[in-house]
Amino acid sequence: MRSVLLASLRTNTRRYVASAVAVVIGVTFVMTIAAISSAARDGLVSSVGAPFADADVVATDVRPADVEPLLAAARRDGARAEVIGSAFVPVRVGDEPRPAEGLDSVAQVTPGGGGRWLELVDGAYPDGEGQAAVGATDAEAAGLSVGDRLELGRGDRTREVTVTGLVRPPLSAAYASVYVTEADLLPYAGDLYPEAVTWSDEGSADALEQAVRAAAPGAAVQDADTYVDDLAAEATRGVDVVALVLLVFAAVALFVSSLVIANSFAILVAQRQRELALLRCVGATRTQVRRSVRWEALTLGVVASALGLGVGALAGAGVVAAIGSRFPDVPLGDPSVSWRWYAAAAVVGVVVTLGAAWLPTRRATRVSPLAALRPEPAEDVRSRAGRVRLGAGLAVLAIGVAALAVAVAGRQALLMVAGGAVTSVAVLLLGPVLVPGAVRLVGRVGGRLPGGLGLPTRLAADNAVRNPRRTAATAASLLVGVTLTTAVLTGLASVRGAVDAEMSTDNPLDATLTAEAGGQVAGDLVARVEGVDGVRRAVAVPGTTASAGRLGEVTVLAPSAAQESSVSYDPGGLTPPAGTAYLPLDVLGQGGRVPRTVELTVGDETTSLRAALPPSTDGWGPAVLVSPDVLARLTDAPVTSAVWVRAEAGADAGTLLDGLDVVADGAGLAADGGYASRASADLQLDVVTGAVVGLLAVSVVIALVGIGNTLGLSVLERSREHALLRALGLTRRQLRATLGAEALLLSVVVTVLGTLVGTAFGWVGVQVLVRQVVQTAPLVVPWGQVALVVLASAVAGVLAAVLPARRAARTAPAAGLALQ
Amino acid sequence: METTTLTAPPDTDLAARARGLTRTYGERGATPVHALRDVDLDLPAGRFTAVMGSSGSGKSTLMHCLAGLDVPTSGSVQVAGRALEQLDDTALALFRREQVGFVFQGFNLLPMLTARQNVVLPLELAGRRLDRAARERLDLVVTTLGLGDRLGHRPSELSGGQQQRVAIARALVTEPAIVFADEPTGNLDSEASAEILSFLRRSVRELGQTVVMVTHELDAASYADDVVVLADGAVRAHLADPTADELVATLRGGAR
Repeated sequence: MRSVLLASLRTNTRRYVASAVAVVIGVTFVMTIAAISSAARDGLVSSVGAPFADADVVATDVRPADVEPLLAAARRDGARAEVIGSAFVPVRVGDEPRPAEGLDSVAQVTPGGGGRWLELVDGAYPDGEGQAAVGATDAEAAGLSVGDRLELGRGDRTREVTVTGLVRPPLSAAYASVYVTEADLLPYAGDLYPEAVTWSDEGSADALEQAVRAAAPGAAVQDADTYVDDLAAEATRGVDVVALVLLVFAAVALFVSSLVIANSFAILVAQRQRELALLRCVGATRTQVRRSVRWEALTLGVVASALGLGVGALAGAGVVAAIGSRFPDVPLGDPSVSWRWYAAAAVVGVVVTLGAAWLPTRRATRVSPLAALRPEPAEDVRSRAGRVRLGAGLAVLAIGVAALAVAVAGRQALLMVAGGAVTSVAVLLLGPVLVPGAVRLVGRVGGRLPGGLGLPTRLAADNAVRNPRRTAATAASLLVGVTLTTAVLTGLASVRGAVDAEMSTDNPLDATLTAEAGGQVAGDLVARVEGVDGVRRAVAVPGTTASAGRLGEVTVLAPSAAQESSVSYDPGGLTPPAGTAYLPLDVLGQGGRVPRTVELTVGDETTSLRAALPPSTDGWGPAVLVSPDVLARLTDAPVTSAVWVRAEAGADAGTLLDGLDVVADGAGLAADGGYASRASADLQLDVVTGAVVGLLAVSVVIALVGIGNTLGLSVLERSREHALLRALGLTRRQLRATLGAEALLLSVVVTVLGTLVGTAFGWVGVQVLVRQVVQTAPLVVPWGQVALVVLASAVAGVLAAVLPARRAARTAPAAGLALQ
Repeated sequence: METTTLTAPPDTDLAARARGLTRTYGERGATPVHALRDVDLDLPAGRFTAVMGSSGSGKSTLMHCLAGLDVPTSGSVQVAGRALEQLDDTALALFRREQVGFVFQGFNLLPMLTARQNVVLPLELAGRRLDRAARERLDLVVTTLGLGDRLGHRPSELSGGQQQRVAIARALVTEPAIVFADEPTGNLDSEASAEILSFLRRSVRELGQTVVMVTHELDAASYADDVVVLADGAVRAHLADPTADELVATLRGGAR
């Protein structure tokens, strides 16, 4: 059958394009993940290991107190020791000391760059005392450049340094915003969090080990290479986990591809009935025919996979380069991919193609030779979803839903996944009933549309359902993509709602500025605060300074109910009931226990109050909260002791906090508030949502390619019918519109169906996964995003129909009607 | 009305034989259609037989059953000494490959193969390389049908008559025991039809083939040696070398 196979491949090339595209996209996806993962591994390993490249031995578990003796011992022995780890030291900029935005950690660097593991971006390495290198990104954010002066620390530990160079710090324990030499670091040696100390010297490993242990007893010393290997292994484990998660999305994309390929082959085989029947007449056995079609599938798989490998290699390198240039701080190394990935991706591509085509080709062999004897092409097969299929579908659906219900009750993630898979299978089984039924319904309703839209809608609906099995198969791929996307969007929106609710109680205030004990807030400050970019409202909270016995002098605040509800996310949470005082953890100090009562004394007035922790234990600064009547009792002259701020929705956290810092600086106010964490949580959720939707979008694109393909192939089948309609007077535009309407109808119906199922899945996911962490997680449906998904799929559906419709309308009626 | 029937020739001279052949269609619940009722038929080898009858007479069904394309409801069919009801699907396919040739009214050729590839298709299906004997047969068939200069063309580049000639060549290339032609001239003009019919007769006379042709045209039947007339699923007459008048009378004999 070789001549038949080769000739068939040549003739049918155009019809295989869509299937090939689906495989290419899937394989490219896998290869891109491989490239990113390789680059990340490579980058992480070198980034993590760089500080230890020149070391001979590494000491870990070093106590902060041992750092100085260790460095001294190194100096004595003529060895080079470097502390890997940083201390949190306040950093101020230049002559009018203002806090340097984002610079807060200081670490050691060997003069002249030492092992050169810090990548130099500009200027030169610090050479000795009084010189420092600053992380390039941090410097840019703080507005620093080479030559600026910095002031480290406070009080008698202050050091002044000049910025000699900008560097790119690795994203590891060796990260810091400012790097200084040993001399400038020593004052803070006791504040260091030493991850490790490297030691390089001549001599045997044992001798070095002994020297280190002598200076820092209790430290664990090991050979530098072993240590680096361990670090690398740990780092890459994280990358591997991420790669695995990404591969799950690739698997979804490949699954959708397999649906597209299966549907393609089913249609192609149906269209080649006469050809295959003729072969059977002339004496081909069933096996020969089956094998020939399968060889076609195999060839398609091999060619498409090879193409995918090529495109994927380019795409992978491109994506890595793009990430590298957009986010220069992310350590990305060599994106070259091992041959194992190539082999695996190729095998997967071929297996998916062959596997997807397996069942449709079986149908090829059921062709009776008699089919070749009919003088006209066979009517397109009208299939009805059998009762057996319906029964089986309902049964499976019942099992799936039951499994999901049990999973929700018991919060079992594995059972949820199993239940979800079973329910999906049920939906796919019931597809031939659900989808055409829904389309028919829409058709009936839309048929009543005025303005000449009624008839085309009804026609489109009728056409879309004349072959329910095929309609459902076409819809299946889009259904999978839309369901998953909606489930993720709903799930993440619900998570966001739950997180917001928790944050509202835990961090009810966006920002606060609280006067220190004995001080007050200047009169014009509130107005200046309101003028800060990003502030929606600021209230001046009255209070006073009181002695609180053991707790010392404290600021006392008494916000009125009106004031509190105008800025708080949790009204009522910060107004204590009569006779009670709320104590913040700041005032209690570390490890402080909440006393049963507290006595507040202002001048001669003393009041004894019950002490309690408020519902939100944090977030308003170092002040005691009392009710307004208690304040009135304590003093006749309350002063503004704090400013509470509510931020604009969506205000940039950095800008807001910077602005407040500027206002508060020098005024002796303590800043606090939860806006940074709120904004950060929002940002993280946004990033995750965007990433997941983007990854799922690949699957949706494949599905749309499949729909376009099905339409195109169907159009070929119906050429005589279309020719007849045109001969009877349908214009080209009307024909194109009908086909467009078919595609639009199918896309929208499937998307709505997918949205319903996806929302249900999203709810289940939230109940099972999120409720383990957050107590109340009500279902939040992101209507805006869902509407966007429906709109996007509608547009895409219409676009998918453009090419097939043009082809259909181009044929002249006479040509289409002629026999043969 | 007298009918001249053939005397039953000995088995070895029979290309095909049917006994009690019955074929009924009808799904559960629908009215059954009796396409063939208890047909007994002997088709001698080396003769050109035409099968005639009005539409619905069962002539196509008869051909399908004789060719092993359809399974009869009851009865037996023997072709080239083999009983078809004992063969499974694969064996039937092999049987068709080696012992039967087909020419249809339309769509005879695979559109993506050249004429030559179409002709040798049965041989390729058998996986047989073209040995000397096969090549000689191919040359003979191609010469007999005058296809020498058309072998490299695709069906779309051939006229209707040329396509049918290629189909006949394919049917003959394996030296089958029997060649079935289903209305082979249905789509052809009179000149091409005459050409095809004379080729079919030549293959009987010169190459010793047995040809069974289903037709409803008297002109076509006049090329044949014997004529079988079917009506309502049963054989009304089996005429040997009939004259035109005899034939017309037999055909009309059914219409009252």
